[in-house]
Amino acid sequence: MTSSQRTGGILAAPAAIYMLLFFVVPAILLFSYSFWMSSGFRIVPDFVLTNYISAIRSPLFLRVTYNAIVIGLITASVTLCLSIPVGYYLTYVARSKIIFYLILVTWFSSYLVRIYAWRTLLGTNGLLNAVLLQLGIVHTPVQAFLFSPFAVAITLTHIYLPFAILMVVSAMSEIKAELIEASRDLGTSALGAFFRVVAPNAAQGLVGAFMLTFILVAGDYVTPQMVGGSSGQTTGLLIADQFRKTGNWPLGAAQAFLMFLVSLVIYALVLALGRLTGLIPARRKTKPAKEVA
Amino acid sequence: MLLKAVVYATLAYLLIPLVVIVLFSFNAEQSFSFPINGYSLRWYTLIFEDPQLGQALVKSLVIATATAIITLVLGTAASLAWLRLGRIGRSVLEILCITPIALPGLFLGVSLLVLAAQLGVRLSTVTIVVSHVVLSVPMLMIAMRARLALFDRTLEEASRDLGASQIGTFRRVTLPLIAPTLISCAILSFALSFDEFVVTSFVAGTETTLPMYIWSMMRRTVTPLINSVSTLALLFSIAVMAIGFLVGRFKRASALSERASS
Repeated sequence: MTSSQRTGGILAAPAAIYMLLFFVVPAILLFSYSFWMSSGFRIVPDFVLTNYISAIRSPLFLRVTYNAIVIGLITASVTLCLSIPVGYYLTYVARSKIIFYLILVTWFSSYLVRIYAWRTLLGTNGLLNAVLLQLGIVHTPVQAFLFSPFAVAITLTHIYLPFAILMVVSAMSEIKAELIEASRDLGTSALGAFFRVVAPNAAQGLVGAFMLTFILVAGDYVTPQMVGGSSGQTTGLLIADQFRKTGNWPLGAAQAFLMFLVSLVIYALVLALGRLTGLIPARRKTKPAKEVA
Repeated sequence: MLLKAVVYATLAYLLIPLVVIVLFSFNAEQSFSFPINGYSLRWYTLIFEDPQLGQALVKSLVIATATAIITLVLGTAASLAWLRLGRIGRSVLEILCITPIALPGLFLGVSLLVLAAQLGVRLSTVTIVVSHVVLSVPMLMIAMRARLALFDRTLEEASRDLGASQIGTFRRVTLPLIAPTLISCAILSFALSFDEFVVTSFVAGTETTLPMYIWSMMRRTVTPLINSVSTLALLFSIAVMAIGFLVGRFKRASALSERASS
């Protein structure tokens, strides 16, 4: 070990120890909690699979997890479908600073305010209904906009889209525009160039954006609570309730890790699907060295 | 052009809800009507009659400031370490300090709650700050990693060859180069902490931050007061973000000109 590396280790220590103490240790603790017992109002250390078994056997858990997967997949797909054209536009067509900053503004605008805004828009006395009534399109307010899986999906897409766009932009900005020009010169259509040049090269970033959106959506508990109603509940809300209302922390922990497992399975499926369709190139053995030696 | 249409439609989708909130915060009436019948500032004057709102605001400002300072200290050390560590060291730092960004806030919230319960720590402003730092360090590390990929190590070596001490090199060469990113990250972590709700709701105990107050308002009432509070919160986030970017810009420009003139 060189002295520079030793200094590096010392300098890295505060942040590393901090994250170890307040991120890794709590995660491990939560994981061990999932094997503990909750009897009455007490939580006792143990090693039982009861929590996992009762989670999987619970129709409610299965229903909300199914909900979370469907809403998650729809939200992540729509988010990716919207962030790709926006990312492409910002990277290759017009490097518009204004559009970029407007996206950042939405990203930094308050999470709760945005959920509230969708409540305002979709509610029975909301803006959308007011406009539809005024225009004579409907005669009684439509109840179905709010408190539905649709409301949850449209709100969550709104919340995570800016972040996905930023991820897609950073993935695309590493692909040289010349590559696209070359493929166009060789006679590919614009769409062809996207699928044969941009998508394979940006695959990691695109899959990242998709998965991150999925994971964050499945774990979100505020949006389903505010706009989901009973049909739009997700696993996140169920887990949160175990910790806030029911007090069965071990069960909540088990549910959280089951959701984590579901995310891993979906990640594997997305990768397999991408490789099968050729959109994701097989992993290269060595990454081109970019670091300054 | 189809692409352009999609881009502008997406932008409209992102912005319309925010515009609606701002617009209706000036609505003179209680209910929604379209177009708006009259404008007034009555919902803004109500804000000042609510002492709890003021207390929540102060608490959020204190927490956000503490979060920004701690993140800046940890981040500065970690980014200097990043320049010196080998591949393994960097991977370890990456796993510890970047992965939390890929986990839902719910997960971090409940795991910190479990930790506090296990250690018998009372939930307070301190536990909130601790959780906010966990959230903002990964953001800083991502930004720093991008910045340091462009960092020219030979500048530090040249400075050492010319006889500067390690501390002198840090103060005169390294710090000015990474300072813009660090400062804009500190400001961004301030904004992030100021707005954080999900993790906070698990580790706050009886404390009330501004987002938590807005949350309780959202649940118990339907007054347009929320619109005016939201509008101010929105303006504040935008202002903080703008300051962050301007500082980053300004510092970068001055660091470059200093380099050019020396």
